[in-house]
Amino acid sequence: MTRALLLFVLAALSPAQDIVKQGEAIFSKSCATGYCHGARGTNGGAPRLAARGFDQAFIANTVQRGIPSTAMPAFGTTLSRGDLNAVVAYVASLNGVTTLINSGPSGIPNAKLTGDAARGRDLFSDSVRSFGRCSTCHEVGGIGIPIATPIAKVPADVAALKALSTPQISTATLGGESMPALLVSKKANAVMFYDLTTAPPVLRTESPASVQTRDGSTWRHSSVIGSYNNAELAAILAYLRTAEKP
Amino acid sequence: MRIPVLLLLAALPLAAQDAGVTRADWPHYGGTQFSWRYSALDQVNTSNVKNLLPAWIFQTGDYTEYLGSTPIVADGVLYLISASARVFALDAAKGTVIWQYRYPTPRPGIAGSHSDFIQNRGVALSDGKVIFGTRDNFLVALDQKTGKEMWKVSVDDPKQCGCNNLSAPLVVKDKVIVGGNGGDQAHRGYLTAFYTKTGRVAWRWYVVPAPGEKGNETWKGDSWRFGGGSPWLTGSYDPDLNLVYWGTGNAAADFYDADRVTAGASKSHDVNLYTASVVALDADTGKLRWHFQEVPDDQWDFDSSYEVLLMDKQIRGQMRRVLVHMNKSGLTFVLDRATGEFLSSFNVPELSNWISGITEDGKLVGRNEPEMGKTKNFCPSAAGAKSWNSMAYSPRTGFLYTPTNEICTDITPNDTKPTEGRFFMNGDFPMKLPPNRTTYSHVDAWDPVTGKRIWSMPYKFVLLSSMLATAGDLVFTGDPEGNFFALDARSGNKLWSFQTGAGHRGGSISYSVNGRQYIAVTTGWQQTVVGSAIVGLFPEESFRPGSTLVVFALPEGSR
Repeated sequence: MTRALLLFVLAALSPAQDIVKQGEAIFSKSCATGYCHGARGTNGGAPRLAARGFDQAFIANTVQRGIPSTAMPAFGTTLSRGDLNAVVAYVASLNGVTTLINSGPSGIPNAKLTGDAARGRDLFSDSVRSFGRCSTCHEVGGIGIPIATPIAKVPADVAALKALSTPQISTATLGGESMPALLVSKKANAVMFYDLTTAPPVLRTESPASVQTRDGSTWRHSSVIGSYNNAELAAILAYLRTAEKP
Repeated sequence: MRIPVLLLLAALPLAAQDAGVTRADWPHYGGTQFSWRYSALDQVNTSNVKNLLPAWIFQTGDYTEYLGSTPIVADGVLYLISASARVFALDAAKGTVIWQYRYPTPRPGIAGSHSDFIQNRGVALSDGKVIFGTRDNFLVALDQKTGKEMWKVSVDDPKQCGCNNLSAPLVVKDKVIVGGNGGDQAHRGYLTAFYTKTGRVAWRWYVVPAPGEKGNETWKGDSWRFGGGSPWLTGSYDPDLNLVYWGTGNAAADFYDADRVTAGASKSHDVNLYTASVVALDADTGKLRWHFQEVPDDQWDFDSSYEVLLMDKQIRGQMRRVLVHMNKSGLTFVLDRATGEFLSSFNVPELSNWISGITEDGKLVGRNEPEMGKTKNFCPSAAGAKSWNSMAYSPRTGFLYTPTNEICTDITPNDTKPTEGRFFMNGDFPMKLPPNRTTYSHVDAWDPVTGKRIWSMPYKFVLLSSMLATAGDLVFTGDPEGNFFALDARSGNKLWSFQTGAGHRGGSISYSVNGRQYIAVTTGWQQTVVGSAIVGLFPEESFRPGSTLVVFALPEGSR
């Protein structure tokens, strides 16, 4: 399907003005107070929302989850799914977005995936594999546990994936036991690290006196992807390439 | 051979008696790992209970939802968790705060799924750690002395499964075992054991077997993938047999079976294993030792997730190691807990129309099932003849004490296809009050050996709070109007009542500090799920929310 045709289909399916109207009603009751975003998201105590170039995914994410350490609450639990989608549609309309993509789990729009990439997305978080799936440690597209930092560079092929080096994994020694560790923070009163001995990794908080860390480890990424065969790994890489953001 | 066997049998009741009762401490969710919710303390008894007064009151300050947890007490310290996982260590005699911990507000899971509800049913205590589940499906261990986080591990991804673990974990030797909810969604339930020392996973047991595993053949096509069965409450443990006991949840979809059961298949036993069953797992390995399915092809959401009471009883002239287990239908089973052998059953609610009876070997007969294209009225409802609040058992009277509701439901099934993590109940099921009644619940005493009801105290609304039995021959529980009351364990006569100011949905416990007996109860009415569904049945009433622990004792000097 060409991009033009795809847009046409989405436009034809788009929920017209009703949902935007519904969203405006909710917005004006809650978000538009003077302390917050103001009428039509233009002038209030909180940042302007209109004509900011926000896309649907960003708006859905922010409305759902809020912005930590600010006055912007997470509405994912207080608004019904219908109301949430309506508010997203309204704020999107303030940013010139009129064609909406159907939302996936967590209200964030699904990218339209086909073939290997679609299969790769399912494999990435395949619940049948229990803790042996990628999403045990990686969050992509709103699914998964963000233990690893976001994937910055997708390996070129399965061989490169299997050869992936992980210099960021160090070795922690605690009570006479050494374990592969992903260091999270090192403060005067606490060292936080993920213990990678078993999947799922365990976030441990220890006193600096009780734990020694050194660079490097015997941990290999190739040893935790064993639930997938090569074809499956190739599909996952295809998915990660589509999910890659500039 | 003969003499040692006899000696062993003679020793059994004493061992079980000891394992089932609490004394100064209240170490586990169900009192002990036998889940009796029975305290051997008898300072407060039938003759002086009328003098009980509040000794101290603790407000958690967390008013997002109800206080439904059961506190834990060890060495004069009471550990309490609120709905959004604020954890407190309190001086159990005074209520002063020793430490407090606040779990950060998690990112939401799937809107409207189980992972969306704010609640927590309790912490577990083991290995110097206070351990609890979170709304974003982590298991967290705090330092028992300081409240500082020691480890935290992800059980599952709530953004995908719509599930989390908010019931009290069960600690067994060097492990902590948790189930999870999500069995009303497109999800495949499991129990997971973690080492208390490190937080590392020890084993996981899936309720629904995968292809190639025994039991998978009881599922049609690939329906096993989203077969539900989540064991969402707290199990029990027998150290002599080294077996963990757990009740499993309903099969998914709840009210429509054509996609999970092959047309024409016999429904007499073992359909959609191991949903709606009691299972016994090896505590060290998580391997299934035996199972007993209570509701083959569950089509009423009568899941079997409730507490499992372990006790020793004389059955037909022979001392047996048994377990007693009620599922949502109110049908209560007595099984041999070493083998899973069916021994007897009895039906607790007054209204039941989903089966016509049960055979002497535990098979359901006269199934009355939901039908596509029809709306049919069923009793009890999916809210349960008893909800997830626990019953209690007193070894002094030999009776079980159950809070039973007489609420029905209109089930209209549908055949919606599953989407992972989304609700997969396939039916509407509004609660309905049965006609021609003025009371809709009752506290009962039942003899689990004879299956006879000994007494019954009717109540006009519903009862959704756990029971507590004590050696003072008292039975405590609370009601939605805010009354916390004591009944005579032998007669059911009400001996005392106190208005605590908010509805009751949690649990009460008893413990002692420096020789003084305390009775503690969590208050605050549940505003979602069953709590809110019940409110709709009684529109004139206001069952008040809140989040307060009220602790009673006899006045100093009056003992």
